Amino acid sequence: MAREEYEDFAEALEALDDDMRFEFLLDLAKKQDASDFPEEWKTDANLMHGCMSKVWLVHEEREGRHWFRGASEAAIVKGLVHMMVQSFSGLTSEEIRAISLDDVRRLNLGALTFQRQVGMMAMLKQIQKLAGQPVARETAGA
Amino acid sequence: MADTVSDRPNSSVLDVEAVRRDFPILSETVYGKPLVFMDSGASAQKPRQVIDAMRHCMEHQYSNVHRGAHYLSAATTDAFEQARDRVAQFLNAASPDEIIFTPNVTAAINLVAHAYGRAFLKAGDEVIVSEMEHHANIVPWQLLAEATGVVLRVAPVEDDGSFRIERFAELLNDRTKLVSITHCSNVLGTNVPAKEVARLAHAAGARVMFDGAQAVVHGPVDVRDIDADFYGFTAHKLYGPSGLGVLYGKLDILNSMPPFLGGGDMIDKVSFKGSTFKEAPHRFEAGTPAIVEAIGLHAAINYVADIGFDAIRAHEAGLRDYAHERLSAIDGMRLIGTAPDKAAIISFLVDGLHPYDVAAVLDRQGVACRVGHHCAEPLMDRLGIIGTVRATLAMYNTKAEIDVLGEAIEKAKKMLS
Repeated sequence: MAREEYEDFAEALEALDDDMRFEFLLDLAKKQDASDFPEEWKTDANLMHGCMSKVWLVHEEREGRHWFRGASEAAIVKGLVHMMVQSFSGLTSEEIRAISLDDVRRLNLGALTFQRQVGMMAMLKQIQKLAGQPVARETAGA
Repeated sequence: MADTVSDRPNSSVLDVEAVRRDFPILSETVYGKPLVFMDSGASAQKPRQVIDAMRHCMEHQYSNVHRGAHYLSAATTDAFEQARDRVAQFLNAASPDEIIFTPNVTAAINLVAHAYGRAFLKAGDEVIVSEMEHHANIVPWQLLAEATGVVLRVAPVEDDGSFRIERFAELLNDRTKLVSITHCSNVLGTNVPAKEVARLAHAAGARVMFDGAQAVVHGPVDVRDIDADFYGFTAHKLYGPSGLGVLYGKLDILNSMPPFLGGGDMIDKVSFKGSTFKEAPHRFEAGTPAIVEAIGLHAAINYVADIGFDAIRAHEAGLRDYAHERLSAIDGMRLIGTAPDKAAIISFLVDGLHPYDVAAVLDRQGVACRVGHHCAEPLMDRLGIIGTVRATLAMYNTKAEIDVLGEAIEKAKKMLS
């Protein structure tokens, strides 16, 4: 269940200091291999626009649940993409719709620059878009 | 006013520790580590002399310029026009009327493309830029080309980043009406032989503009010696404030051009039957200008002049050579831009590593570099790379900081591979 993955990531990050979080992301990136995201999926159609380094996301729906896979050419971003797709795969449409920007902020924890956080928010919105759901917005007063 | 210059004697040797003490931000720490600021090519830090001059203006003198019959307005107008005088002297312009304040270099180039380009260029005329231009010196000409049918030609850059004047000269012909070229590449550091470019362009009957955003920092720039028709630079890279650029133009050319932006302060007489316009420079300065910023630029020029370009150049050349040597010793290092005549702008890639990852690790070590295509995508395409990490070395950088950079790159290699 993806929510468990999300909690695992969030708790692991909470237990680390900034430098260690940075290395944690790099380790996530290193654990992935080419079979996680075949080269032929790196098409313009799967490319997320507006990212500093290229990010590709693909989506599949099976039995009412959404599954995502992603890749990036930069290692740190690859780690972030991995965390995002692992956290938010396996959810129903309703669960995808309910993901908030705060859920994403919990996976950032100041380890990264504001620009990266913006990138993660964009990834969430892409995940929601691919799942055919409305994208998360800031709530008033947030 | 606080338009003071330091009491440091002008000599050909730069006392880098004394210079560093003038820049309050350089004693900051990031992530608990001393800040190593190597992103001055994007925007330089500000010495206290600039900060003090701007604060003094706002605390004691500020008002709008060229209007208001009161003491403060007159005082601010004087200070603003003195800044224009100082810029004219800095560039060795023939008159302060040749100095137009703009928001930045981008605006300066757009002004020329719009006001000069649309008035004097027609379909089939050619404008020459180079492969190593910043987008600011490409897109305005593309917009002009779309609007008028002007043809954009592109002077090549060699693999090592060199600019070969004979290859540029091959593009000149009787259709060439304007050459607009960087004086120093923001990615490669390559210095362009501006005087020779201007001589050849003029011989072909073309006007010539230089994007001096980077070059003016390493100066001195003498627009009359170069014989530039237009020259643009920006205050914030010259240790001055953001929000202010300069367009130099020869006075007869400026006065032959129609206005670019219409509004207050640029008019002679306005009525609903039609309006008439002031002469340069005011014709091209519609609306309230960047007043405090102009006063800040004045202080920045005084600061740089006080240290002296001989000393700055010698210091930066030493840093450039040391950076090339130190970084070249790193296995897998690829320096991008090794032209014989180059400024202290060090672009690089490390084999097998994405430049964003390298820059992110450098950042965690307190080293601030720029990463990406540096607003020069056509140059990236030409060199077949996605981007670079760029360390720009300024008058306040030290060899010890280059060692920190080198060690941070080595750490990035370990962490990322």
